[in-house]
Amino acid sequence: MKHGGGAEEHRGWRGSRVTGSPDADPWTRAQVALTGLLALNRSQAIYFTRSTDDAGAPLREDCRYRVNGGRLPGKWWSVTVYAADDYLPLNDDDALSFDATEVRPDARGQWTATLAPQRPAKGAWASTRQAGAFDVTLRIYNPSPRAQADFGTIPFPSAQRLDCGGAA
Amino acid sequence: MSRRLALALVFIAAMVVGHVGTIVAAPHAIMAVAMNRLSQSGEAVNRFHFARRTTAQSRAIVRPSPDLAYASCVYDLADGPLLVTAAPTPAKGYVSVSVFAGNTDNIGVFDSLRAPEGIRFVLAPAGQVPDPAKMPTGLPVLYSPSRKGVILDRRLAPTAEAFAVADKARREDRCAPLR
Repeated sequence: MKHGGGAEEHRGWRGSRVTGSPDADPWTRAQVALTGLLALNRSQAIYFTRSTDDAGAPLREDCRYRVNGGRLPGKWWSVTVYAADDYLPLNDDDALSFDATEVRPDARGQWTATLAPQRPAKGAWASTRQAGAFDVTLRIYNPSPRAQADFGTIPFPSAQRLDCGGAA
Repeated sequence: MSRRLALALVFIAAMVVGHVGTIVAAPHAIMAVAMNRLSQSGEAVNRFHFARRTTAQSRAIVRPSPDLAYASCVYDLADGPLLVTAAPTPAKGYVSVSVFAGNTDNIGVFDSLRAPEGIRFVLAPAGQVPDPAKMPTGLPVLYSPSRKGVILDRRLAPTAEAFAVADKARREDRCAPLR
């Protein structure tokens, strides 16, 4: 879905075609300055952020989420957790993000990771402890020409809420 | 037109002008704060500063990536063009060097995919062609629309081991006046 100022939304992820670009309008520039200063343009990196799960509910620290994805069109990618103040959550779990080297894709390239305040029994994980109402940013570095031309072709990961408040 | 209506229109116009002015000025103001912070209050200009590995406590820049090693050079082109060099990371580690103008625009980017042997370019003020006598042969010239801005070296370093390798390599980075 395309919005004004180069903004786009795909499967719950929001981004902009003109982030970091001289083509950005004053509103986009101001927004980037506030929330993503010194961002690269899309020839180097594509940034998309989501603050809700697949059902549209805000992402919360006290919930667990399963992130499902496929082959992402770039040399490397990562998913990072940010607290509401746009900084990394203040925890010492050494798991502020998960990336392309940590997931275990199956034969079809599908992978699973977890967003939760505690480390899961297995699999890639990004810690949301001390994150409060958080969001996550997907960075795809050296994106393919097709992905740069049409963000709609990117198989964006889903974010399914598993449970909240420690309920299994 | 009643006096009350005229006052309301003046109020609305002032609101619109104030809003637009703030939107336009915000990137410059925020960038100025970032440049001041990255240059240690102006002490380190036209030379690279090497950030420690990003942790949960990092607060220099909003939304930092914990998977990258950052080095930054706050540039000032008052004395003319700069020669910018960034050494490669061993084992073809990904490196990108991006240049930002004073209004936050990403005006140029160079990476290790296109320059695996190291990144080298000249950064010059817009409208000022570098002195050919000082210009190294064959180097690209990037023109900045603003006198001041930021050069950012990013290296892929998702682990402590990878960070140590990238950190050693980036220490060769230079952004200094062209002589």
